[in-house]
Amino acid sequence: MKIMVCLKQVPHQDARLDIDADGTWIKEDGIKFEINTYDTYALEEALAVKDAGDAEVVVVSIGPDRVTQALRTALGMGADRAIHVKDDEANGSDALGIAKILAAVGKEESPDLVYMGLMSDDGNFAAVAPMLAQLLGIPHTTAAIKIERANGSVTVDREIEGGASEVVELQVPCLIAVQSGLNQVRYASLKGIMAAKKKPLDVKSVSDLGLSGQVGAGAAKVKVAKIAPPVKGETAEILQGSTDEVVASLVNKIKELGLL
Amino acid sequence: MGNILIVAEIQKGQLREATLELASFAQKVAGGSGREVHSLVAGKGIEALADEFSKKGGGTVHVVESENLEHHNAEAAITAIKAAIEASGADLVLISNTPSGWDVAPGVAASLDAGFVSECFAIEADGDGFSFHRRVFNGKLDANVVSTGGLVVASVQPGATTPFSETTDGSVSKLDVSFGDLKTRFVEVKQAEAKGVDLTKASIIVSGGRGVGAPEKFPEVIQPLADALGGAMGASRPVVDAGWLPHEYQVGSSGQVVQPKLYIAAGISGAIQHLVGMKTSNYIVAINKDPDAPIFEVADLGVVADLFDIVPALTAAVTAAKG
Repeated sequence: MKIMVCLKQVPHQDARLDIDADGTWIKEDGIKFEINTYDTYALEEALAVKDAGDAEVVVVSIGPDRVTQALRTALGMGADRAIHVKDDEANGSDALGIAKILAAVGKEESPDLVYMGLMSDDGNFAAVAPMLAQLLGIPHTTAAIKIERANGSVTVDREIEGGASEVVELQVPCLIAVQSGLNQVRYASLKGIMAAKKKPLDVKSVSDLGLSGQVGAGAAKVKVAKIAPPVKGETAEILQGSTDEVVASLVNKIKELGLL
Repeated sequence: MGNILIVAEIQKGQLREATLELASFAQKVAGGSGREVHSLVAGKGIEALADEFSKKGGGTVHVVESENLEHHNAEAAITAIKAAIEASGADLVLISNTPSGWDVAPGVAASLDAGFVSECFAIEADGDGFSFHRRVFNGKLDANVVSTGGLVVASVQPGATTPFSETTDGSVSKLDVSFGDLKTRFVEVKQAEAKGVDLTKASIIVSGGRGVGAPEKFPEVIQPLADALGGAMGASRPVVDAGWLPHEYQVGSSGQVVQPKLYIAAGISGAIQHLVGMKTSNYIVAINKDPDAPIFEVADLGVVADLFDIVPALTAAVTAAKG
């Protein structure tokens, strides 16, 4: 059984978000990166399958040199092999371009299951996973909060509104985009981190995958023209002063509301 | 230049309000650019709804009637939408960003090698293409995404605009779709479990977010303020994901949607799915160290400070005021 887990390396959740000179993304210099939180739940789910029996977990990520760190972390947590698609030609890809790259890797790997996060913490597009399933010609579901594997099929609880869930059965091979909180994500042990150094980490280019000219900014159907801080509504009154002054104002407000 | 296709969503035998919001967007974009509005109503036993939508902004309604669409089935839905795109000559497809919508919309785009933009709160025609507005970094920044021509599928944030409320002329036509063997099967819907904590009935809620930092700080810092005010404690999604509190405390689109008289958010950044769960509260106080936290956009009163400085002091002051 082979599980392919797609990871994205994203700015750390608390990273400073300064707009870059272009105005089209944030400045990446000097900020810390981490594995997209949604993808960590997907990786944990795959590693739990591996713990329970005979499964190979292959992790894939796309991006510059810094992505090596994310893949080493995944290998340290227990993944067997990593694939790093490292190529400037992929820069500026829209979600479809990313999905095409992952699909090319997927076609080479022929996994039984593809696990990845519902969305990324930076772009929040929630697009690549369902697109990848389409391109691989396999069924999918999204926002998985429970996954049960059987012979030839997977039964998934997917989160819908208000705490309810919808149960769907997918034939294998299939792709599951996981919701955050699916499980408790493990840390890499020291032993795992040492072992990770010897695990295979293959680097591929866009042309290795037969995708020259089909991905990157030139092929993108949509692009981010501008990002900016939201225009703030004027509605929030921001309290100033010492803690005592602020607390006194809050108590007065609560009294005014008739709640004290 | 193509037409606009609205993908309707049916919930409990009715057109969702989010679908009428799509009609508002579609009618506005179409009116400004000379495009036609079309829509897809797909399901089982939905002719009456199709007729209804043709009079509520749905324009030319394409009806796909099938057992395969009685319940949500992403695979079947994608097939039906592709057929409707062809029948309607659309170059813009609007789908609501609901759990059904986000399961389906990206796959439609990939299948047709089209552009895709999700969770938009505004859309304009822009030359041969479109300009979309959405949030990135969990609500912290606005992004303007553009397409320059060709088919684009866009998912739209529910609640981003008002539902279409005019009466319009439209038409209904049947669309035959063959589905083939599906590898996806709907099994059942599991209703939400009965909650020990019913936040929808609380008139005061004090919620903590990731900024609270550790599980024990909830009973130590957040619960005491809730108790002092005679209210209930709540939490944002990351707190529940981390296992610090059970799901019944979660406020947000996939937890409880609340409307208390007073909502105090401590250490909560304000991701969209949380805001959806509390922004109609009567009065919102936000306490967060980060002055740019999106929570301040919905707050009536904001405190830019460390919640550990403010909350315990507020608890003491409230307790003292109650004598």
